[in-house]
Amino acid sequence: MELIVLLLILFGLLALGVSVAFALGAASLALFLWLDIPLVVAFQRMAAGMNVFSLMAIPFFVFAGDLMARSGIALRLVNVAEAAFGRSQGGLGQVDVGASMMFGAVSGSAAASVSALGSTLMPMMREKGYDADYAVNVTVTAAILGILIPPSHNMIIYAAASPISLSVGDLFLAGLVPGLLAGFVLMIAAWLVAKQRGYPRGSFPGWGKFLRALAGAIPGLTTAFIIVFGILLGIFTPTESSAIAVIYTLLIGVLVYRTLGWTRLIEAASGAVKTTAMIMMIIGAAGMFGWLFAVLEGPQILAQTLTSVSDSPVIILLMILIILLVLGAFMDMAPLIIITTPIFLPVVMAVGIDPIHFGVVMLLNLGIGLVTPPVGSVLFLGCAIGGVKPEQAIRTIWPFYLALLAVMVLIAFVPQISLWLPGVMS
Amino acid sequence: MPDLFAKLSRWASRLALAMSAFGLAAMTVIIGWQVFARYVLNAAPAWSEQAALLLMLWFILFAAAAGVREAFHIRLTLVEDLAAAPVRRIIRLVAHAVVFAFGLAMAVSGAELVLSTWTHVIPALGLPRGVAYIPLSAAGALIAAFALEQAVAELRGKEVKPIWS
Repeated sequence: MELIVLLLILFGLLALGVSVAFALGAASLALFLWLDIPLVVAFQRMAAGMNVFSLMAIPFFVFAGDLMARSGIALRLVNVAEAAFGRSQGGLGQVDVGASMMFGAVSGSAAASVSALGSTLMPMMREKGYDADYAVNVTVTAAILGILIPPSHNMIIYAAASPISLSVGDLFLAGLVPGLLAGFVLMIAAWLVAKQRGYPRGSFPGWGKFLRALAGAIPGLTTAFIIVFGILLGIFTPTESSAIAVIYTLLIGVLVYRTLGWTRLIEAASGAVKTTAMIMMIIGAAGMFGWLFAVLEGPQILAQTLTSVSDSPVIILLMILIILLVLGAFMDMAPLIIITTPIFLPVVMAVGIDPIHFGVVMLLNLGIGLVTPPVGSVLFLGCAIGGVKPEQAIRTIWPFYLALLAVMVLIAFVPQISLWLPGVMS
Repeated sequence: MPDLFAKLSRWASRLALAMSAFGLAAMTVIIGWQVFARYVLNAAPAWSEQAALLLMLWFILFAAAAGVREAFHIRLTLVEDLAAAPVRRIIRLVAHAVVFAFGLAMAVSGAELVLSTWTHVIPALGLPRGVAYIPLSAAGALIAAFALEQAVAELRGKEVKPIWS
């Protein structure tokens, strides 16, 4: 009963246009008052929810992503991708996916990827006669790849939110093959659409130019290797690695590429602060909400409901995926990981699903949420950068969207795709 | 009087941004130092994790409060967009009132937490535990003030112009 009231107030406030963070917080406070629990407990939970060491990965990776977007690393990755993939029909679509995979490897943030690559690639594509909606759709769907391709700060958040201890290194490794697979499938989708629309073909610039482009991008790409191997070899903790990413990007931007001055630095810091405050305020409010939800036995009720429908792992996983997809379309990724991991992970583990495998599926699922209308934030960001109305992009996004969904289903039901690499490496 | 309030609010928002950006930079330096000290100096500082965490709590809460003035928190505008102008106005006023009430509760509870935990000490830092709750109270008050400004602007048919880029 209380649980239903809590959810009703929450959805009511969201419908009124109260921001997600304050709707979560205010709905929780209303229930605290009703249940006669002192409000200090609520705010203690909020502070405790934010006061977690591994969550520092969020501001650091957002900051690093912002710095990368402003330091010209993105442009150099585009150059490499153009030399490698430009010659097929509609080659810039392939270039977009390829560059997103590389940028995803260095930054891991879908929003940073869209703003960095979109501002370079979208004008390039329009100049060559590609439609604006195609440019937006390829860019936003390919930006999701960075969430799977290591390093990804969302994996760190998942490990932090998990009720049992998980190795971030294993999660990173588990994301690699699914990330590459999703990239490959998106490339096929981009090629098919380009062929149908008759987009032009580029040309291979020759090995000399390709190698020169690669050499220019190597300092940037090295970030990914430093983080992944630093964590796998135990040189630094995942949280520390995110601070190292900031410092390394600063060094590259100031000393090697010489593109980062004070103005860009301050712009990047302000941008990162804004994004972080937005995400962390929701996480704080989710701390209140989650506590209340647990006190009201929400997780048990949900688990009972799910297992009463079926005890087949396949059906349970499918139901969870659908719930996550719907939630992901309304809410940002990091807070959702924090809220839903402790609820769903015990349920799936009880039916024998591996927690590392579930993490990969869940992240791809929430990533798809970022480009799902009506509020997929990455989709909207891409539309704003590409100067396309969301309605217009949504009408033609389905080949890319379906490609990602197909990959998600495949990864969900073939655990070996995720678990093979961590198994081999250990 | 409204002009003075508007001026104060702009000033507070700008200060929150500057402080937060500085806090983020300081956090980066502290964690970078932690890694450096462990490998190069062979002595991991005991204070660095707690100090960085404290900084994060401070800067996030102030930036999030400024976010009420700058209206950057994610929200759904579906219903609002469909509603007729007078209804939309009421919806917005109710939404601002909810945020105002939340801010007020945060300010009061935050202050209570500061007082009740002031005698506990964070071991690694030697600071009272209550220091971590000061921003909760202060940011709560700011949230209420900014929500009030938004509501007043709505009543007067004006808009609070964001100053963060």
